[in-house]
Amino acid sequence: MEAFATFLLNFVYVSAILALVALGLAMVFGLLGVMNMAHGEFVMLGAYSAYVVQTAQISFFWAIPLAIFVSAIFGFLIEWSVIRHLYNRAFDTLLATWGLAILIRKGVEVVFTRDYKSVNQVVPGTVELFGVNYPAYRLILISIIICIFVVLLLWYQRSKVGLRVRAMVQNPGLAAAIGIDIAILSRVTFVIGVSTAGLAGALLAPLVRVEPYIGLDYLLSSFFILVVGGLGSIEGLLIGSTIIGGTDAVISTIFDKTAGYMSVLIISILFLWLRPDGIFYRR
Amino acid sequence: MLKNSANVFKEISKNREKSMNSFMKRRDFIKKSLTAAATTAALGGFASRASASGHLKIGVMIPLSGPAGLFGPASKNVSEMAAAEINAAGGILGRQVEIVLGDAGLSPSEVAQTALKLWRGEGCEAFIGMHDSAVRGALINVFKAQVPYVYCPNYEGGECADGVYYVGETPAQSVVPSIEWLAAEKKVKKFYLIGNDYNWPRDTNAIAKETIAKLGGEVVGEEYMPFTVDNFDSSLAKMKETGAELVIITLVGGASVSFNRAFASFGLSENVLRFGTLIDENTLMGIGAENSKNIYSAAGYFANVQTDAAKAFAQGYASKFGSDAAVLNALSQSCYDGLIALDTIAERAGALDTKAMDKAAEGMEYDGPRGHGTMKNRHLAMDIYLANAVGAEFKIVQSFKNQEPGNFCKA
Repeated sequence: MEAFATFLLNFVYVSAILALVALGLAMVFGLLGVMNMAHGEFVMLGAYSAYVVQTAQISFFWAIPLAIFVSAIFGFLIEWSVIRHLYNRAFDTLLATWGLAILIRKGVEVVFTRDYKSVNQVVPGTVELFGVNYPAYRLILISIIICIFVVLLLWYQRSKVGLRVRAMVQNPGLAAAIGIDIAILSRVTFVIGVSTAGLAGALLAPLVRVEPYIGLDYLLSSFFILVVGGLGSIEGLLIGSTIIGGTDAVISTIFDKTAGYMSVLIISILFLWLRPDGIFYRR
Repeated sequence: MLKNSANVFKEISKNREKSMNSFMKRRDFIKKSLTAAATTAALGGFASRASASGHLKIGVMIPLSGPAGLFGPASKNVSEMAAAEINAAGGILGRQVEIVLGDAGLSPSEVAQTALKLWRGEGCEAFIGMHDSAVRGALINVFKAQVPYVYCPNYEGGECADGVYYVGETPAQSVVPSIEWLAAEKKVKKFYLIGNDYNWPRDTNAIAKETIAKLGGEVVGEEYMPFTVDNFDSSLAKMKETGAELVIITLVGGASVSFNRAFASFGLSENVLRFGTLIDENTLMGIGAENSKNIYSAAGYFANVQTDAAKAFAQGYASKFGSDAAVLNALSQSCYDGLIALDTIAERAGALDTKAMDKAAEGMEYDGPRGHGTMKNRHLAMDIYLANAVGAEFKIVQSFKNQEPGNFCKA
């Protein structure tokens, strides 16, 4: 019973953090069609923001605004200098952002060196839930992520900006014709997308290793999720995260971690092959 | 219509012209590069002959990129420090030493190419290496015992190639006495083995399992993880379920950091011990002070070993490179021992010839930061330290004197 409850909590936790990490890519790739290979680097910048806040010996709470600020600034500069010239050229965005990713990694390496950095746990200890002692910080994280998604879903479906974004995604020409400033709207979407990646990095920093190369892992899993879930909808993102996280958790528990990882790869390949648009496709 | 076909024809002939041009260019290019290659080869040959009388170039193969790249800066510093000390004492065989760095953080085939260039092109007459076992295998194939090669870091044991000298810890030296000590002192009976999926963890665990069986202990779990894994929830659940008392960790780098953090966050660190031979100072810093309770590590060197020799070494390092220089650990420090061992063996042999050096290596002795080392079957018998993590630092809890490396050379 205890083992099963732990398994369930782990499953919810993994799905939640996967969804949070992939959210930014879902916006940038799903809505704007930019294959952002630097997505993981924004997660990394967020994690380093948490480290900087810790070194400055101020409350971990400040990591969140700092991470959002840093990734928004980087996102703005990248969109303004490179991305805006490349909309509708998906493959070119892939190459350009891959180059930018290397640049960001190396830049961080110059400033912080290759060493592993340690970001201390903010809320150490465990909480008893369903008869299981579960890490308190993980539970907090799950609640924060649920809040983020609820707010975002409401904003996307109810707000005027959300409406304009949807109009732009469905028919950019028509949207421009009725007076929607597509250039500005794309920029806002891009900056918000990469900022959520930075936020994810700051929130995950106390749980993971922090070094310049962590972005690659997050980039890969984010792409797997979008391949399975499909582009352009929050439902797809959540289903993708659940399938990827769930498969990994179930197979790893029954067999071992290698089998779990392999099953994730096989599922992604099967989707690319048989259902390249994913489960939810709405564009 | 006619006009169109004329255009098409023009287009075709233009294209042909273009491809002829590019073909000519390619031929030209090939010719040029052949000339360049020949010149380089000639110069290279000249350079190596010229250096035979002057400086002694030593190829130092350390990770300057890739996942182990974080050990690069300290390894480079330590190698420079050893070279400077050797030179101050008159060099190797009366020749001043010059170290030439090669990146060993790439794939084995690329590192082999780099080493070949340093050897045949730059004229390096000896090599030391601090890199993984796959790269070592590739380099042994390149050198084929024609040039002396000292392998510095700890490794899984089992090698006996000619012309290769091992100064790193083997599992027989570090893992076996540590498990015996932990079993006796901490009364552990249930062991769980977790590592990354390649030969070092598997070979190390094979030896660990022998020791555990001898002690009457029980292996309650054994798992090997792909390198990309950073979620260990299912393994942690199994550790809880099986009631493991000591977890032997052969995860490397980032995987080790993520695992140890998750381990502590589930409250396992309170009652369950952890032991690994590749949990170095840097990995421990990544794991973090609040997650380090009950971590043990064993190696021939730790940054705060308190012997006179080790203290002198650490002070020398700090005064040469500053107090904020790259942190020392057993891996980077092993480059120092590699160069000292090379010097000692070459002086005993009287030449940088692998046949003479293989003979001279047997019974070779020296004193370094790690204490007294004696070479047997081209492996080093040395003192091993078992350390316990206190916060983000290691504190030595036990030293095992003069541990035998094991004999891997079949007569």
